[in-house]
Parts: sequence; structure tokens; C-alpha cells
Amino acid sequence: MILKPSREDIKLIGWAIGRVILGVGLIMAVPLAVSLVCSEWNVALDFIIGMLACVVFWLVTESFCRTKKDLKWSHGLVVASGGWILAMIFGAIPHYLSGHFRSFLDACFDLMSGYTTTGLYLLQDLDHCSHGLNMWRHLLTYAGGQGIIVIALTFLFAGTAGAFKIYVSEGKEEKLLPNVINTARAIWMISLSYLVVGSAFLWLALLREGMPAGRGFLHAIWLFMGAWSTGGFAPQSLNLLYYHSLAVELITLVIMVIGSFNFALHYAVWTGKTKEIYQNIETRSFTLTALFGTLVLSLGFEKLGLFTNLTEFFRKGFYNLISGHTTTGSSTIYSVSFYRDFGFIAMWAVILVMAIGASACSTGGGFKGIRMGILFKYLRGEIRRLASPESAVIAEKIHHIRDIWLDDAMVKGAMFIVICYVFIYFVGGLLGVLYGYDPSVAFFDSVSAGSNSGLSAGLTGPLMPAALKVYYIFAMWAGRLEFISIIALFSFGGALVRGKKGRKR
Amino acid sequence: MRGTAVLACLVVIICGCVCALLVLCTGPATGMGQEVKVKELVENSESYDGQEVIVEGEVVGDLMIRGDEAWITVNDDPYSERSLEEGGDFAGLSNYGIGVWLPRQETEAIRVLGSYKNHGDRVRVRGIFHRVDHSHGGDMDIEGISLQVMKPGYPIRHSFSYWKLALVLALASMAACLAIVWRRRIGKTG
Repeated sequence: MILKPSREDIKLIGWAIGRVILGVGLIMAVPLAVSLVCSEWNVALDFIIGMLACVVFWLVTESFCRTKKDLKWSHGLVVASGGWILAMIFGAIPHYLSGHFRSFLDACFDLMSGYTTTGLYLLQDLDHCSHGLNMWRHLLTYAGGQGIIVIALTFLFAGTAGAFKIYVSEGKEEKLLPNVINTARAIWMISLSYLVVGSAFLWLALLREGMPAGRGFLHAIWLFMGAWSTGGFAPQSLNLLYYHSLAVELITLVIMVIGSFNFALHYAVWTGKTKEIYQNIETRSFTLTALFGTLVLSLGFEKLGLFTNLTEFFRKGFYNLISGHTTTGSSTIYSVSFYRDFGFIAMWAVILVMAIGASACSTGGGFKGIRMGILFKYLRGEIRRLASPESAVIAEKIHHIRDIWLDDAMVKGAMFIVICYVFIYFVGGLLGVLYGYDPSVAFFDSVSAGSNSGLSAGLTGPLMPAALKVYYIFAMWAGRLEFISIIALFSFGGALVRGKKGRKR
Repeated sequence: MRGTAVLACLVVIICGCVCALLVLCTGPATGMGQEVKVKELVENSESYDGQEVIVEGEVVGDLMIRGDEAWITVNDDPYSERSLEEGGDFAGLSNYGIGVWLPRQETEAIRVLGSYKNHGDRVRVRGIFHRVDHSHGGDMDIEGISLQVMKPGYPIRHSFSYWKLALVLALASMAACLAIVWRRRIGKTG
């Protein structure tokens, strides 16, 4: 029997989502400050409106949804998934008011793409965008990379015992420290430290390449945010091609690879366990799949004969491949070049690595390295079992911070998530084909959206069908939260409509 | 008979010269170059590879000087005529632009670069289009020969949005009322 959620359950979920939305409003203070410094008065008003809308929503939930109940697992899941949807709507207010979006749906698309660190966008006339709006776009990916729930946990959930439940519901299972709020703060400390160092390197590189100091500084921060969060946004429409710089490409490549690593791995390295880099199943899995992808890419390029030397292979092939594998989406070629210049084999090499994606509990998306590792070890165990005597006991283990013995539940869990990803990739690709796009282009963009990569072969744009926009928003959201929270949200909705009232005690 | 043959030869030679002249003046890969849109270049890069082309559009972003040369970005999409910040219509795309690598002195005429606050200079660039520029790590770009400023850029006037200010005031009042309600409710429940 499905029980109808009680009034207290709804109030509790509303109260927690209110805090998440307040977090969204608070981070709008950064682009607001930038627009004020740059004398962009109308843009500043856009952010004040966005912030006030968030504050009004928070005050409503604080006034009418306050309860003494603490969060349970089911609440945490609904707060995470529902919180992301409402955060998208509230965050899209400054986007829409900027006048660079044809519809509110387009603004919501860019917001979801930003939060989920995807990097696909429908914004029009990017090259005439304000600094304030550009700061907001990039800050979204930076904040979304850590997880907007992590932001709320860092500042707004102190002392809540149920905090761990919404933290886990955002697709992060690692507890770096015993206390989840300290874990959230540790994630921020790691990200902010890299922000300072990475932006400094990029600024120096941009100065060397002839950019003025002021704009160079802003571009450095934005490029860092885009690469570290594996978001892939850039302040100019040509993306990384705009800079024509090997130095900038090298630095962003390093940042995106580091950004795609598990926060638990970062924390282990920070606390002196440097061997973890070589031992961790995710770094091993990433290295192997990246090598395989590079091999396929080079076979494709060999057939083309277009990029004829190592520098070109590195800057146009390897860079975009790793950008796809880390699910960043920064690009050094035009979107249509994936389809017109890469050829079938190289294009599908990029699709394959995008589908696999980065590490769990990182800023990236896709199947994740740990699941690839689990499935590979499981397959190896099965083959060994078949080749061994019946009485032999075969067990496989993976190393992720510590040694973990594989069991059926772990394999089933990994398999379930991978199947869910394949399903959303396939449905998106099929939809694209039904709308008349070339299958390679349709699957390229669908995998890119579902794995939160952000590379495009030219399908994604303001003129794409509205149904595809809605589906891509769903795919980005579901892919980022790894399905469980989404299933919980739909179950909660179903229980609200069809559930039976429980007895009052 | 001999005179007729000489005359025929002369006619053939003159016709050949006229034809060659016509081809040189009107052909696609001549020294003068043909005017082409960036979208057309990017989508048909193979057929334009190595050809001399002319692109006319707005200079946006930054002028990145590197030694005796410089990079500029030229957009020739509808927003290069009238950007959204100036009240231009939605064209259903982000931007269409291309990087142009030019001798530094050619860029000295550029005064205004397109951005949120400015509409950039409208320039006419003549150069060689490269599908894969081997001297720039494989970038798709134009190796510029000459640049001419067709129309100077200008500052974009952003008139203050009073309806947004009114919305700010309305939301602030709503927030203030709700804050009072919240304080009272907290007071009641402790």
C-alpha cells in the first residue's frame, strides 16, 4: 500500500527547498557585484530581482513550512531533485531578463545546463553579453559542479541531522569527513584553492597571448570555472578557439582532468596519500578508457588525412576527446566540424568517451569510472570463475580510497545506473532522429546532454524543437542526479495523487 | 590562303586572352577574392580551403597582439548589424564569427571592439581561408592580407529600465511584509 505523504512531510520538503533557493539567491550577489563594478545598471537590476524572488520564496517557506521533524531518506531525495528544478526556475530569472533568450524555456535550458555542468546553451548573441551575465553563467557551473545542495549545506543547514540524506541524494556518496557539513565545506575548500591557483596560471597565459589585464582577469576566472566544474562554458561564442593559444589549451586541459576526479581522491591526496592517484580504480579506469578513445580517434584521423602533425592531433583531436571524456565540453573546433571534419570513426570515439564520463562524486557526469571499474572486474571475475574448478572461490576487489570486495549488490547497483544512462542516451538520440537529424548528430548531442558533457555537433541551438529542449533539460537533470532522486520525486508525486492516508498516532 | 590562316590564329589568340581575362576577373579563386559569409565558409570548409576570400562584419572581443601579428574575431551574423543589446531581433543562433590572423599594422585602424557596451567597427577583411591552418595548430581561420574599416563602431546606449526598478520595489515590499509575518510566527512558536 502506498501511503500519502502527510502535511508535515510536505512542509518539511518545502522548508528544505526554501533554504536551497536562498542559497541560489545568495550566490547571485557575486554577478551583482560584477555588474555594479562594470556599471551595467540594468544587469544589476536583473540580479536584484532574481535575489528578491529567491528571498520571497524562502520567507514563504520559513513562515509556513517550519517544522520540528528532521529529514528522512525519502525527503532528502525529493529535496535534491525538486530543489534543482526550482533552483533552475529562480536562477533563470536574470537570464531571461537579460534579453538574450527568446523564451523562458530557453533560459531554463541554460540554467539546467549550467547547474549540471553540461555546457550546452541556447543564449543568443553571446559576444554582446554583459560581464555580469557571463559571471552568472560561469558561477552556475562552478557552484553546480560542487552541487547546489552542497552550497546550501555549507551555509544554511548547520546542525541538521538529516543533512546527510540530501547530500547523498545529489549524486554524491563520499563522506570526506565524519560530519557531512564539514564534508561540504572541505569540497568548497578544495575548489576555492584550485580556483586561485588555476585562474592565476590562466591569467598569465592570457596576458602573454595579448589580452588586456582587466578582461584577461575575468576571462581567466571564467575559463577556470568552466574547466574545473567540467561545465565547458566560455565567454565568447568561439569557445576555446577564440584564444588561439596552446598555453590556454594546456592549462584548461590539466584543470578539466583534475576537476573530473573524485573529491574523495582530492582529499586523500591533500592529506598526504599521494599513492591513491595510481591505485584508485577511477584514475586507472579513466586512463584506460582515455587511451582506448585516443586509439580510436587516431584511427579515424588516419583515414581522414586532415590533421597532419602531432600538434594538430593534440589541439584538435586529443583536446576535444579529453574534453568529452571529462564531460567538460570546452572545444577548439566549430560544432559542425565534429560532423563535417572529424569523420564517422573519430566522432563516435568522442561519443563513446562522453558516455563513459568522469569520476563519481566529482563535477563530471556519464557512467563514471568507478562503475566501469566495477563492471570490468565483475566480468573478469565471471570469466575466471568459468575457467576455474567448481569448488574454487573467486573474489574480485576494487581500490577506491580503501580496498572494497565486490558483491552482487554493488554490481547490480552499478549496472542499474549504467542501464539508466544508456536509456536516456538512446531515447534522446531516437527523438533527434525522429525530428530529422542525422543519427550521428542526434546521438552525439543526446549523449552530450545525458552525460553532462556539453559538446555539440550542431543540433543544440535556439531553433531546435521545444520537445527536444524539454527532453534535454530532463536528461541533464536526471544524468546529474543519477536517477535515484528523480525516481523518488516521481514516486512522491504519485503518492500525493494516489496514496492512501496513514493512521494518525 | 596563308593570310587567312594567320588571321584565324590571331582571332584564336585574342579570344583566348579575353577568356583568360574574364576568368581572372570573375573566378572564385582569384587574387581579388570572393565575398563569403562565415557560416558558408565553416559549413563548406573543404571547397574554400586555401582560397582567397573576403569577409565583412563586426570586430568583437579582443585585439590580441602577438609580436608583429595580431588575432581579431570577425562576426558576420545578423547581430553584427544590430545586436540584441541595441534591440536587434532574435536570429536563432549564438554568433557566427571567425578568427583572422593579420599583420599588426593592418589592425591599427581598429578603434572599437564589439562587446556589451560597444558595437564594434565594421571591417572588410581579405585573406586566405584555411580549413586547417598548419601554422596555428590546425585552427580554422583566415590568414588576413588586408583590412579596411567600413563603418566605425559606437557605444551602445542602454536606457535605464524603470519597469525593472518598479519590480525591485514591489518585490522588496513583499519581502519586507513576509519578514514581518515570519518574525511574528517565530515569536508565537518560540
